[in-house]
Amino acid sequence: MNWGTVIFIGLGVIFGIMGNLGVLIFPDVYTRLHASSTASTSSVFSIFVACMFAAGWSPMTGKILVIAFFFFITNPISSHLIARYAWEKDVVPWRRSYAERQRLSHTSDE
Amino acid sequence: MASSTHWNVVRFFVTTLYLWMGWILFTWSLSLGNLLLGLVQSGLVALFTWPVFVEENEAARRSHVPRVHFLIVYLLFLIVQMYGASFRVLWQILRGRINPGVVHFRTRLRTDIARTALANSITLTPGTITLFLDDDHLIVHWLDSRTTHSRYARKLIAESFERVLKRIWA
Repeated sequence: MNWGTVIFIGLGVIFGIMGNLGVLIFPDVYTRLHASSTASTSSVFSIFVACMFAAGWSPMTGKILVIAFFFFITNPISSHLIARYAWEKDVVPWRRSYAERQRLSHTSDE
Repeated sequence: MASSTHWNVVRFFVTTLYLWMGWILFTWSLSLGNLLLGLVQSGLVALFTWPVFVEENEAARRSHVPRVHFLIVYLLFLIVQMYGASFRVLWQILRGRINPGVVHFRTRLRTDIARTALANSITLTPGTITLFLDDDHLIVHWLDSRTTHSRYARKLIAESFERVLKRIWA
């Protein structure tokens, strides 16, 4: 067990928990998908990196690298499919009201 | 006509080669029996699927071979972008100050595979999801929508990806 493993497992746990929290608190399909894709992409990739640190320099590292590459290609497709289905079914994206948006843009400029 | 049958043979062999590379990477052994088994099975699969993966039009044949050194640079760049964006999304979940919006923009990439890679990278980065891709027209849902202007949105979301992608698949 070395420090790389600990740090990346920690990152994976944090992203997973926060992604699930986001799925619970966000208002509609699209924003929830953002939270769930944070959980599924960053936390799973962090755990892959932690596995690479734990395995050291061995054939297993190469296998994990191949799986991570495969994951990079296939993972966005699932969230894109859900988003595209919602978009084709005319699900209206949730937006903030005009007044709130003005207030947010004024405060974020500072 | 002769050139088109020639291209069909090339399509079959390109599909076989890619499948065989995947087999070797996943099994991770170089024994003769394993290699032969993989070759026979990839040939068998390619016999059924060769019209699917490689395009019918010979004109785009250079787009099937990526420039590998730029591809590696792109993957590292994508990982850095992914971590930066996920920390931003984490912060937005914690504060609850999200401002979602939908933006439309056009990409300047020309080959199909580069456009697919761009849409895939946009979806992979937390905070942006590709809703629709039609030729060069992308519809993107954005968690922290700083603008609705299409050119400025392209500059913020896609330009850094495009700069590397157009070097990978010329």
